[in-house]
Amino acid sequence: MRALATQRLRNGLLALAALAIVGAGVYVDHLALRDSSFLSGWLLVAAFVVLAAFNARKKLPFLPLGSAAGWLRLHAWLGLVTVAIFAMHGGWSWPGGGLEALLWGLFVALLVTGIGGLALSRLAPRPLTEHGERVLFERIPRYRAQLAGEVEDLVTAAIDEHGSSAIATHYSRRLRPYFARPRHVLRHLLGSHAPVRRLQRELRALERYLSASGRETLDAIEARVVAKDNLDYHYAWQGLLKGWLFAHIPLTYATAVVAAVHIVTAYAFAASTP
Amino acid sequence: MAEGIAIARPQRWDRPFGPDMTDDDVARVLEQPLLRDIDPGQFPASLPLREIVRNDTRLRRFAPGDVIVREGDYGSSMFVIITGGVQVVTDGVDDAELGRATRKRPRTLFQALRQLWGNAGQPEVRDVARYFQGAGNLDLRGEAEDARTYLADVDAFLERHETVPLSDGAAFGEIAALARSPRTATVVADTDTEVVELRWQGLRDIRRRDAGFREHIDGLYRERSLAQHLREAPLFAHLDDAAIDDIARHTTFETHGTQEWFRDFKKVKGDDPSAVLGQEPAVAEEGHYLDGLIMIRSGFARVSEGLDQGQRTTGYAVQNDVFGLEEIVHHWRHGGPLAFRRSLRAIGSVDILRVPTALVERHVLPNAPADQLPEADAGGGEVTPAWLEQSTDRGLPQSLVDFFVDERTINGRAAMVIDTDRCTACDDCVRACASAHNANPRFKRHGPIHDGKQVTNACMHCADPVCLIGCPTGAIHRHESGAVVIDDATCIGCATCANACPYDNITMVEIRDGNGEFIVDEQTGQPIMKATKCDLCFDQLGGPACERACPHDALIRIDMHDQARLAEWINRK
Repeated sequence: MRALATQRLRNGLLALAALAIVGAGVYVDHLALRDSSFLSGWLLVAAFVVLAAFNARKKLPFLPLGSAAGWLRLHAWLGLVTVAIFAMHGGWSWPGGGLEALLWGLFVALLVTGIGGLALSRLAPRPLTEHGERVLFERIPRYRAQLAGEVEDLVTAAIDEHGSSAIATHYSRRLRPYFARPRHVLRHLLGSHAPVRRLQRELRALERYLSASGRETLDAIEARVVAKDNLDYHYAWQGLLKGWLFAHIPLTYATAVVAAVHIVTAYAFAASTP
Repeated sequence: MAEGIAIARPQRWDRPFGPDMTDDDVARVLEQPLLRDIDPGQFPASLPLREIVRNDTRLRRFAPGDVIVREGDYGSSMFVIITGGVQVVTDGVDDAELGRATRKRPRTLFQALRQLWGNAGQPEVRDVARYFQGAGNLDLRGEAEDARTYLADVDAFLERHETVPLSDGAAFGEIAALARSPRTATVVADTDTEVVELRWQGLRDIRRRDAGFREHIDGLYRERSLAQHLREAPLFAHLDDAAIDDIARHTTFETHGTQEWFRDFKKVKGDDPSAVLGQEPAVAEEGHYLDGLIMIRSGFARVSEGLDQGQRTTGYAVQNDVFGLEEIVHHWRHGGPLAFRRSLRAIGSVDILRVPTALVERHVLPNAPADQLPEADAGGGEVTPAWLEQSTDRGLPQSLVDFFVDERTINGRAAMVIDTDRCTACDDCVRACASAHNANPRFKRHGPIHDGKQVTNACMHCADPVCLIGCPTGAIHRHESGAVVIDDATCIGCATCANACPYDNITMVEIRDGNGEFIVDEQTGQPIMKATKCDLCFDQLGGPACERACPHDALIRIDMHDQARLAEWINRK
């Protein structure tokens, strides 16, 4: 079992070596007075195919095609090498025509979503583990409904037993909407605890109107408010962890289509060039 | 606070082995040659012999051709023939002859690829026609736990194999019962046969109290299995037959602890650590005289050393591990006092072999391969370095070891451990598992988490697979690859294995046909159930799909016994 740091060092060196070979090849092609953009272009196509093959590997888990972790490492490092090839291919300048600008934009979007997704994959899991109980994303709605039901029961009991209008009013105005669906998604992504603290303050403000047993009810409600906040936190971060691929993969398909059109037009214009 | 429901405290014999045992049956059993000389006066009033027989034995009747035990099945009971006769197959029986259709080898590349378009669109789809193919000579009679397979043409079967006949009064199955290990041979009823089956708890109690019974059973074990057991142990592999025989003659068998770990371990979860240790009787105590090398034959034990007022867990021992070797080697090389450096505590019930120290020094150590001896000398009395106080010898975090021991996940030979500090919950592992199992995931991605490590609800292919005990048809068995697998064709859906699994890693499912309609029993109309679990992708190319599918290096299938690899994985950076 190779240490992760050693793996990173080895892969980084391999990527640098690959980049050096590709750069040298393109440069030699250029020295031979050929249009090196065709070589760099086909190298880009080859790299793109390998990068896109990662998704195909995921669909074929029953074939001995190597570990997905190895594929992801290849995907990440080759992606970085591809950026350099892309720059060589474009001559280190802004795109000219509309098609090229579109392709450039798609490529940059792919790069940004890829790096963002990778960073998210590496940085988000630990806070998720440390933030309350780790829950399955698909079960969050069920847990939320369960908490909502429990709070409703607590409030109903408080009304029946103590005639507490304070809790009932607060529930209908603030708590029912809070438990109805995920809340404060953006605040959770920004690491803010302000919403839940505000809710806790509001609950505590009711204490002066309640009897001892009413305050026990309040404690029970507050525990569920915090539990719901934990669910919202997991909903926000797990949703983002799952959601970024919904940008990255469609961008891959779009880039493939535009790249194909680009290749056809490049050869069409190259053929007409004297 | 509302009052809870009061019930009678559960007792050991609430569920007798044979619920229909009458006074006459008990008397008949006690008349058998193996039991008739036992003095009931040796048994305490709380554990009378008659009640052991009433509750821990059952009478079973077999017709010619009935398979009584299958080679490889996990045993927890022994048999004594009352009337009739059986044939013990000594040359091995093929899985197919016992009705199992489990694949021997992985799929071909095309068969693997075919899953891409061949997987069902509905959950738990089965091709019923396959259930009736290839059964050949084998059929089924009886229902639920009393179900048994039988050979339609027993004569032809016996002609094909080398067998040893056993008749009235003979005992068999004691090896598996003593060691809770796989049956070493298949036994088939030759004629109408009545046997008494004694489960291991009763065997243990009678053996503990009656010297004659103990000598007889131990003699059978010594004669039939111990020498082979020792030869297979790496530490003894270099010895000649004379040395093995000498050791076998002087080795003692011991059972420590009284409870079945797999039924009771959940009760102690979360208890005060000292209370947990209080329920783990010492097999060997730190500082006490070391009279013999201890080999774990079955069960688990905690290895610990005293630290202030408590015990620090430094590791764990499972089947085939040895304890005390470092001290013996140190004594052999340098002399000095011979004492245990650490304590060994039984978790649940542990069976051990104790090989006298003198014999280890005389036969084993002089020519032992270097790789079998401890690297460092274990001198007595050294103080644990401060930097080790929060980690074990292998570098595992202390609290994590306690977690693994307390959760009994040390039982896993291929436990699924997820590093939740790396897991993004992408569920690629679950999807890969489903793709490799006809669109049915065979594990649930949740389970107890400690210190960022989750032991997931996936079959761990245990060293002590208690799920195998009691399967009436032998459908659940250990594949030659080491994985515990369920043969779908011979599973009758009795749920014995699912109820026995202490980790809730076996799921009962209702099966469907290709159109998604439930397959039902033609007599009752009730859905047909099957037991399902992780099979470690034993028939897939490349190994477990879940592990290979994780893009974040967050999931591993690991032998919890391999503490060095476990520590390396946990401590990787």
